[in-house]
Amino acid sequence: MDQIRNRLEVDGKKSRTRLLELKVNGETFDITAKPRVMLLEVIRDQVGLTGTKDGCESGTCGACTVLVDGKPTLACITLAVECDGKEIRTVEGLADGDKLNDLQEAFLDQGATQCGFCTPGMLMSATALLEKTPKPNKQEINKALEGNLCRCTGYNSIVDAVLQVSDQGVKAKMQ
Amino acid sequence: MILYDFEYERPASLQEAIALLSDGGDGAHVLAGGTDLLPNMRVEIVAPSTLVSLSGIEAQTPAELPDGSVRIDALSKLADLADSDLLKDKLPMVAESAHTVAGNQVREMGTLGGNLCQETRCLYFNQKHDYQFVEPCYKRGGDVCYPFPGNDRTTCWSVYMSDIAPVLISLGAELEILGPDGTRNIPVEDLFTGDGLEPMTLEPSEIIQAVIVPPLPERFGWGYHKTTVRGGLDFGTAIVVVGLHLAEDGETCSAVRIVYGAIGEAPLRPSETEQAMIGSKLDPAQIAADASKEVTPLPHHGFKKGYLRDNIKVNTERSLVKAIERAKG
Repeated sequence: MDQIRNRLEVDGKKSRTRLLELKVNGETFDITAKPRVMLLEVIRDQVGLTGTKDGCESGTCGACTVLVDGKPTLACITLAVECDGKEIRTVEGLADGDKLNDLQEAFLDQGATQCGFCTPGMLMSATALLEKTPKPNKQEINKALEGNLCRCTGYNSIVDAVLQVSDQGVKAKMQ
Repeated sequence: MILYDFEYERPASLQEAIALLSDGGDGAHVLAGGTDLLPNMRVEIVAPSTLVSLSGIEAQTPAELPDGSVRIDALSKLADLADSDLLKDKLPMVAESAHTVAGNQVREMGTLGGNLCQETRCLYFNQKHDYQFVEPCYKRGGDVCYPFPGNDRTTCWSVYMSDIAPVLISLGAELEILGPDGTRNIPVEDLFTGDGLEPMTLEPSEIIQAVIVPPLPERFGWGYHKTTVRGGLDFGTAIVVVGLHLAEDGETCSAVRIVYGAIGEAPLRPSETEQAMIGSKLDPAQIAADASKEVTPLPHHGFKKGYLRDNIKVNTERSLVKAIERAKG
C-alpha cells in the first residue's frame, strides 16, 4: 500500500490554482479550482447546485450528466479547468421557477421516478436527445439513454415519458 | 477529485503539445476526452504529474483525400464519427463500430485517438487498490499476477478492448503519428506490442494525429459483431470484424482480413486461415471453425477460453455471411 501511495507524490511541487469563468444555467460564476478538481465537485460544492448527482465516480452510471455547450457530458470525469468559459446546463436549469418543464411533467405523468437518483442524469440526456431529434423513436431513445443506469430498473416508463413529451401517442399514466 | 496533485496545460496546437510532452518527460501525459485516462487516475493506475490537454485544439471533420482515401482526425469525437455522413457512406463499418462504444455521454466526450490508446483491462487491474484483496497486481508494481496464478509473472494478461481498432486493421488503415521529429505513418496493427504491460508502441511524447483509411476496392464487403453482456454501455466480450474483397466472378475471395478484438492483449488475426481463403470459394462454416482454432483467446472478465472460442466461431460465420452478401451487392 505504501508503495502505491509513495508513487503518487508528484515532484514535491504544488499545482497552480486556476480562476475559471463558468456559465451555469445562464448565470456566470467565478470559480477557483485546482486542476485535479472535477466539474461535478465545482457544480455541487462551489456553485451549490446539488441536483447533479455523484454516483459511480468512474463515468459508468450517468447520474452526473450535465450539458456542456449542449453536449451530454459526465461531470465526474471532466476536469473543471477544461470547462473554462463554457456554458453548462444542469437539471436545475430545466424548470422555470416552480413551474416544471414539459419533460419533467412527462416524467411525473409516467411515474418515471422511483428512488430518483438517476433522474437528473436521465432528464439531461433526454433533453440533449430532444434538442437534436425532436421526435425520436424507441430505438433512438434507448441509444441516447444507454449511458444512464437506473438501479430501480424503471426504464420503460422513462422511455414512455420521452415518447409522451414528443407527442408520439403515449398517454399520461398518473393523475 | 483526483487524490493527488498534478499540473495542467492547454496548448493551442499539436506542435505545442508535443513540445510540452517532450519537456515533461515521463511525468507528462496527453489528455483528450479523458473517459479512459481520468477514471484510471482516480483508481491510481496511472499518475502523470502534468496533463497536456488537447481540448483547445479543434478537430477537423473526416475528409476524402484526392486519391480516394479518407482522413479522420484523431481528435474527432466518437459521436461525430457515428453521425458523419461521409463515413456512413464510404466507411459504414467505422461509423457502426464508433456507434457501439460505451454510452452516449462517453461517445460525446471520447475521441478516436483516445479509443485507440486506451489502457488494457482486467477484472483485478482496473479497480482501486483499496478494493483489491491483497497486494497490487503485477502491472501495478506488485510481484504476482493474482487473476492468473499460472502466469509466469513476467507479463500481464489483460485485454485490449477498443471497438474501433479491429475495424481499422481490417481496412488496412494507417496512423499518422506526430512526434518531436515530425510525423511518421505506421499501419494500425503496429501500434500494439501484444504485451499487456506495455500495450502501445507510442513514445510518451507522441500523439496520434489522424487515421488514414485507403480507398476500398470494388466488391468489398464487411461484417462487424460485438458481443456484450447487457447490449449497451459495455466493453466487448469478443469483437469480430471481417473485411472481404471478392474477385470479378463474385465468388472467389481475392483479399480478406479477419480481426478479433477484446480477446487478447492486442487485436488478433488468424493469418493462416486468411492465406488459405485467398483464391478459393468461401465456405463460411469451415473458415469460422479454422479461424477460431487458430487464435488463442485470453480468458477475461469471467469468460473462459472455450466460451470465447465458441463465441468467435459463431460470430465469424455470421459476419462472413454478411460480408459476402454485402460484397455481392
